[in-house]
Amino acid sequence: MRMVDISALGTRLQGLLPGTVSGTTPVLLAALGGSLTYYAGIFNIAMEAMMLSGALGAVLAADASHNWVLGLLGGVGAAMVPALIYLVFVIVVHTDEFVTGIALNLAAAGATTFVLRRTFHVSGSYNPSDLAQVPRLRVPGLRRLPAMGSLFRGDLNWLDVVAVMGLVAITWVVKRSRSGLRLRAAGYNAAALQASGVSVARVRAWSVVWCGVMCGLAGAWLSIGYGKGFGENMSNGRGWIALVAVILAKGRPSVIAGTALLFGLADAVGLFSQDYGVPSQLSAMLPYLATLVALYVAARRLRLHSTPPPVGVSQR
Amino acid sequence: MSLKTRRTHTTVSIVAVACMVASLAGCSSSSKSPDTTVRSAAAKKVVYLINGSLGDKSFYDSGQAGMAAIKAKYGVETRTIEDGFDAGKYAANLAAAIDYADVIFTISYGFEDQLMAAADAHPDKVIVNLDTVVTNPDKTITSVDFVEEESAFLAGAAAGMLTIDTTVNGINADKVIGVVAGDKDPVVDGFLFAYENGAKSIDPTITVQRKYLGGAWDDQAKGKQAALQLFDARADVVFQVAAAAGLGVLQAAKERNLYAIGVDSNQNDIEPGHVVASDIKQLGASIEKVFATVVDGTYVKGTLINSGLKDGGVDLVTDATKPVLPAAIESKLKELRTQIIDGTLVVRRYQP
Repeated sequence: MRMVDISALGTRLQGLLPGTVSGTTPVLLAALGGSLTYYAGIFNIAMEAMMLSGALGAVLAADASHNWVLGLLGGVGAAMVPALIYLVFVIVVHTDEFVTGIALNLAAAGATTFVLRRTFHVSGSYNPSDLAQVPRLRVPGLRRLPAMGSLFRGDLNWLDVVAVMGLVAITWVVKRSRSGLRLRAAGYNAAALQASGVSVARVRAWSVVWCGVMCGLAGAWLSIGYGKGFGENMSNGRGWIALVAVILAKGRPSVIAGTALLFGLADAVGLFSQDYGVPSQLSAMLPYLATLVALYVAARRLRLHSTPPPVGVSQR
Repeated sequence: MSLKTRRTHTTVSIVAVACMVASLAGCSSSSKSPDTTVRSAAAKKVVYLINGSLGDKSFYDSGQAGMAAIKAKYGVETRTIEDGFDAGKYAANLAAAIDYADVIFTISYGFEDQLMAAADAHPDKVIVNLDTVVTNPDKTITSVDFVEEESAFLAGAAAGMLTIDTTVNGINADKVIGVVAGDKDPVVDGFLFAYENGAKSIDPTITVQRKYLGGAWDDQAKGKQAALQLFDARADVVFQVAAAAGLGVLQAAKERNLYAIGVDSNQNDIEPGHVVASDIKQLGASIEKVFATVVDGTYVKGTLINSGLKDGGVDLVTDATKPVLPAAIESKLKELRTQIIDGTLVVRRYQP
């Protein structure tokens, strides 16, 4: 950009803050769900399918009911469809986790397109102007805060807050609660858990269900939170990025949050950097590049420190 | 070419497969046409073969409307074959189309080699390629190319006039306008080139800021993020050249109480009061026009037809339930439009 004046630059830099949060939230929501299945010992790659289904379900429900709460429920409900299929195949029938996940991701892309066309008779996307959306996060009092004020100007919505609450809640559940202990045991030493009288399959099933809930919220964020309407393939790989965050963090919610934040920051800064002559091909790579670098750094650090629970190889 | 046709979808689409099976079944049941002449008497069966899917309410559907029109007018048999963005379908569908029809209208973007080979093998067929220029060795394919620069120039002029009109609600004093593009490629850059020229024809000091989405044509959230950054950079009007991702641009305009310009179809009512105009492309008029020449015998193989504002191939539409542009801007746009059509104003074409 030519002729940058200082106040305009200030506005633009402040805009990066909500921009970063917006890049972070969908990945964080899904990855928190993935954290649960990771601890339970499931290599869950079906988050993209759950997210995309959730995005469509949220639009269907919000469009029909003109109510965003029902929209959220619709998103969670629709995400449950691939989640339950995954549950039945992987936990009950013991099919391969990876193959099942791939199949679900492909099927979700086709199925959402199919439902979109059958319901609204459009191809591509459905964006009604009066779609009920999750309320914006607009706090006039905090709008004046130095540097942080831009977070409260209405770019964010309450699902962004839900993501933060989800982070706190899931951290607590995993680390402090009895369910969390069983969850980790299901991944770390399934035989011992089974011997203690707890059904490993049941623990794993619940982890998949809750993962579906979180991915449904992530999808709803895309279609009735930040965005407004459904488009084919609108999740655009965020479920895969969430998977990377989960693997990179070895399930730990705090590291997941850090990775998601890094991704979100790189997403916002990538677009921003185009104003300073960074080629768009490079700036588009930035979020993935940042994730890759983080993966490398984390892998080196983790090797030096603790031995985490084994990667989700299910022990049956 | 349309932004929607340009995306290569690897998605396995159930719909696409279903449509494919249905259309193929329809085609294979028909008997081969024994006569091989292409003069008017033989133009009985017409196929519209597209590399995407109907239902987009713009580009592909406008071609379908043209097919319906020629069916009604000439009583010909028509069929539409959709590939549904499945790259594996084009060759088979093209073979089926050639088997069945005398006249084939096709959007072959991404499959030019297959079209050229088929055209060389079947010199008796009328093959009209829409939206790109394809020249086969035997020079039998006629191409209809759209002069996107003309409508994008008008879009730039509209944005330029709006950003300097501070009497309009929300317009700031800075002469900055923006554009969100799906990817950096020659087609998109043609739009951007003309958009910038259009704006600068109004006021040379207007700055045009660009954001590219790096190929994320589907990603509405990313499109919105890009537009919000442009609005933060004091742009008041953002043109979207990003297919579905551009819907996020329209949402951002609504949230900032500012303005956007749509693309492909009339998007002015998607966010009423915030989409000031749409840069559209229509295949239907071209299909009707070319088919009329086939019927009256004036059709010439291997020609290039440029379709711009004059032929209704492209246009900038401002009609909306809640129009935004002041009357002065509307009338100036009309004037520019007339000048482009009658040739007094020549819009520069983009040379990659």
